Amino acid sequence: MSAIIEIRDYSWQYLNTENPALNGINLDIYEGEFVGIIGPNGAGKTTLALSLDGLIPGQYHGVKQGTVKVMGKEVEAYPRGELQRQVGVVFSDPEAQFTAMTVEDELVFGLENLGLSIPEIRERLEWVTELTALKSLLPKPPYEISGGQKQRVALAAVLAMMPKIMVLDEPTSMLDPVSRKRIFEVLGRLKREQNNTVIVIEHSLENLIPLADRMILLSEGQVALQGPTRTFFQQIALLLEKGIYPPEAMQFFYRLVQRQWYNGDLPLTLDEAAERLEHVLMPRHSTYQGS
Amino acid sequence: MNKTMLGYVPKESPIYAVHPFVKLYFLLIVSLFPMFVAAPEWNFLLLVIILGLMVISRVDIRIVRIYIPVAISMGSIILISYTILGGRHPEFQVVFNLFGLPIYWERIRDALVVYFRILPMIATMVFFLSTSRERDIIVAMRTIRLPFVVTYVFAMALRAAGMVLEDFQIVRQAEQARGFDTTGKPLTYKIRKYIMYMIPLFALSLRRSEEFTNALVARGYAFTGEASRVKRADYILTHYTFKPHDFVFTAIITLAFIALLVARYGFNYFGLDDSWFIRWLYSVLV
Repeated sequence: MSAIIEIRDYSWQYLNTENPALNGINLDIYEGEFVGIIGPNGAGKTTLALSLDGLIPGQYHGVKQGTVKVMGKEVEAYPRGELQRQVGVVFSDPEAQFTAMTVEDELVFGLENLGLSIPEIRERLEWVTELTALKSLLPKPPYEISGGQKQRVALAAVLAMMPKIMVLDEPTSMLDPVSRKRIFEVLGRLKREQNNTVIVIEHSLENLIPLADRMILLSEGQVALQGPTRTFFQQIALLLEKGIYPPEAMQFFYRLVQRQWYNGDLPLTLDEAAERLEHVLMPRHSTYQGS
Repeated sequence: MNKTMLGYVPKESPIYAVHPFVKLYFLLIVSLFPMFVAAPEWNFLLLVIILGLMVISRVDIRIVRIYIPVAISMGSIILISYTILGGRHPEFQVVFNLFGLPIYWERIRDALVVYFRILPMIATMVFFLSTSRERDIIVAMRTIRLPFVVTYVFAMALRAAGMVLEDFQIVRQAEQARGFDTTGKPLTYKIRKYIMYMIPLFALSLRRSEEFTNALVARGYAFTGEASRVKRADYILTHYTFKPHDFVFTAIITLAFIALLVARYGFNYFGLDDSWFIRWLYSVLV
């Protein structure tokens, strides 16, 4: 399988900074993959997201080394506005990306830019409002709705454009747990029903882990660890060392491993943890009952 | 209730049956009427008509109340500018002397003429803002086929104005949280310390501009290049149709304007010489 995104020896340093934000990145991301990118603040996650959409180097000043290819073509080689039709980015601050006066205008803005006809726009609008449950909000100004709704609008505006690749830069960082869950439900549906390549930069690992096929850890501008989600989280010691705190259920099992009370794989989700805990506790539980 | 730029209008209001272009056309053309009418009573009649339209449109007329102090202070300033600060004109008729300053009839008359010209203009603007949303302006502009980039820049300006106000509140609250509060302080202190708000607001505005640019680029919008030449469908306009009554309203506004010009310059109507109000005032004062 050929990579839809190929990054080779990529470094980016913003003007007037001492260190590169990204330093010697090598990555391949494949079509249809759901990739989670994590890392502490300042690790270069947002810079990577901007690089994938051509906003870097297009909109920022700095020094670039190496190559970032999207669908086999270097990002700078795309004509202005062309790459963004293939790569959609959702930023962490939804309000910062609103460009229109109503939710409906916001959703159709990108579609009009694509040059779609009115029936095509109507069809996509219906599809995306159904997917993101935004129908009732269409006539409202996007800056007057709740934080969770705003982020769903931002996500829907990008989704409607049906980009091959979607990059979500901390899409739930400003949301409460319920709104966060709803965003990931939408991403879950997207994963099940579409074949988009989705790259999510996120701190909320509980929601990300069940969806991600692969995880990448960025630290100090470099790829510190990457691999399939289950394999990735077995390296929990390294993650903790890099300031990443996996879900507590996983950390709990890691403690059990450290105390040699458990020697299997670390569970990724709460359900897996409950199941494994049952296996761990059953013999002791029955002993306790019997004593 | 539907939110407008200046308040709320019930969903049942007949104003929603009117195309946004007609509302904008009304604003642009009717605002000009007082410029061609000198007689205050005609401008007062226009003011009453606009207030009547607001009632018909089910605009909460209480919003007009907040403009009463503005109207009073504006009237006072105009009157003072024309009379006390109007200079000495031996050729004018003196009505009375105020602390040795002659107050002329002509200057009082001119102040009233100006004042009664401004009032319906403001009322027209209030009527428009009370019955329209930002989107209506954009729709109106697109209806007359203004280039997309023009309407979009205008929309961004509207949006930016709202964002700056929001950011100002955030900065103010942040300053207050750190113990900096100008509430109750003298005006000179407030002006001196205003820089405390302005610097972060300026920095925030720069950041907002950057984010906004990124958002535009990320949505595939380009001002130049191949992408900018894409033929855009205007989906929003599909929600609005120019109905027969919109043609009628547009025609009425246009004909009224033409009739006004003909009456003013062809038959010399609406001038001061024909004003019964001015004649009555003259008989009272002089």
